[in-house]
Amino acid sequence: MIRLEGLTRKFNGLTAVDNLNFEVKEGEIFGLLGPNGAGKTTTVRMLCCLIKPTNGRAFIGDYEIGRDAMKIREIVGLLPESPGLYGELSAYRNLDFYAKLYGVPKKRREENIERFLKMMGLWERRNDPVGTFSKGMQQKIAIVRSMLHEPKVLFLDEPTAALAPDSAKIVRDFILELKHEKRTIFICTHNLYEAERVCDRVAIINTKLITLGSPAQLQREFGSGKTEIQLKNLGPKVIKAVKKVKGVLKVDVAGDKLFVQSRDPESVNPKVVEEIVKNGGKVIYVTRGMLGLEEVYLKLVGKDEI
Amino acid sequence: MRFDRIWEIAKKDIASVRRYKYVLYGLVVMPLIFAFVVPVVSLVPILGSENLSGELPPFAPPGYSPKQAMILWMVSMFSLFFMFIPAFVPSVIASYTFVGEKINKQLEPLLATPTTDSELLLGKALGAFLPAVGVTFASFFGMVVLVDALTFPIFGYPLLPNLISLVVLFVYCPLIAILSVSVSVFISSKVNDVRAATQLSGVTVFPVLGFYFLFIGGFLRLDWVELALFAALLVFADLGLYYLSKMTFRREEILTKWK
Repeated sequence: MIRLEGLTRKFNGLTAVDNLNFEVKEGEIFGLLGPNGAGKTTTVRMLCCLIKPTNGRAFIGDYEIGRDAMKIREIVGLLPESPGLYGELSAYRNLDFYAKLYGVPKKRREENIERFLKMMGLWERRNDPVGTFSKGMQQKIAIVRSMLHEPKVLFLDEPTAALAPDSAKIVRDFILELKHEKRTIFICTHNLYEAERVCDRVAIINTKLITLGSPAQLQREFGSGKTEIQLKNLGPKVIKAVKKVKGVLKVDVAGDKLFVQSRDPESVNPKVVEEIVKNGGKVIYVTRGMLGLEEVYLKLVGKDEI
Repeated sequence: MRFDRIWEIAKKDIASVRRYKYVLYGLVVMPLIFAFVVPVVSLVPILGSENLSGELPPFAPPGYSPKQAMILWMVSMFSLFFMFIPAFVPSVIASYTFVGEKINKQLEPLLATPTTDSELLLGKALGAFLPAVGVTFASFFGMVVLVDALTFPIFGYPLLPNLISLVVLFVYCPLIAILSVSVSVFISSKVNDVRAATQLSGVTVFPVLGFYFLFIGGFLRLDWVELALFAALLVFADLGLYYLSKMTFRREEILTKWK
């Protein structure tokens, strides 16, 4: 649904986006991760035909950015970094205005505004000026705005950035519901927890592409061999014994859990379990401890910067 | 080009400007001054004087008493005042809707819609143009009623509307409003402060001031030729500045180059 071929953008000689190549499938939720200044917003702006690439091409469906700008704007929805709503106008008037610009027929316009505002829990506030809304409520209105014309592709730039945890959950659930409608969703986010839970695949960029895959794939690929062991009544004797096992690099403790890191889990873990039992520990579970996406991200972005 | 989109943008901007006090000042106070305060303050002393002596005003028409000639000259001057409203009001509105929206980051979602640059520009221009021209027409009507009511006993016929006032109202005012909007769009791409944009857009007042002072100084007769020449000058300036503002109003440049 989205295809980037060497997409590059320079500003006065400074490369903001460098030779991005990847594809996003139809109906996929795709996350674009990267530090500040990594080129996430610039990428989205190019894909939404707001700015032109310096080099390379990109396609939304069969349409090429730049060449088919107007067609692309009709089939994509954008939630920019800032909601950019008209504070003096009511929520309904804001949405109605945008729906008209997208050419949504009256009946569908009214239905969609009502449906999405109800989904976001803001229908009762529809006649209030948006300027009186909290940041989170404004963000929700902006998300609704991006959905009014039922776009095939939705670009969300930091969708939950300003939201309280409960509102963020509403938005995440909303995004997942859109996935059931087979919409392609492209999310720029700093929120790795969110990316891990919502995205089918993620790309980590820092001007150029660092890696791409599903959160699980990346965790496996860039994991450092941590093993999680749940014990019954973990004591200091067991911890001391595990630390002494040859090949163990690091031992972390959290409650009755042990996190054991080694270079060769296959040969080290049996010895670890043996030592635990020998020292009176009772093992309940032994699981492969995968790195969270956050650790993968920090590892890769850090490595790239070095 | 779709007119429904242009009209939607204009309607939204007109609805938005009500919140700006400075714009309301332009829309309410300034027309009230030109329509009522200036005619009353200027005409009442003359109307009340028995014998008006001294020099006749420039190009005083023959066959009139000094008092009548003075009133006729003043009435022409009042008509010219109305050129200041479309010079000032659209620049204030456009500054708020362009620079204000840029500062509030409201332009990006707007630019992401399938509206063309021309539709956006014309919609915003119309949103600044209509209130200015509307308020000019309304206040001019008030001035006509007031002036005619005051001067009818002296002349025995209504002085307004006359040729000058009709040309000012239906030709100059719209052309000056377009000029003002075009200048504002161009200025808005260069500054990041609404007040700075408003002040810089005030340059639109200069051609109006020039025209006004030439009349006051007796250099203009305001005959057909002079009226047509000034209109042609405005058309020429409008076309040039509209082209310039359209060049400036490119969505990519708004996001990447507008300060």
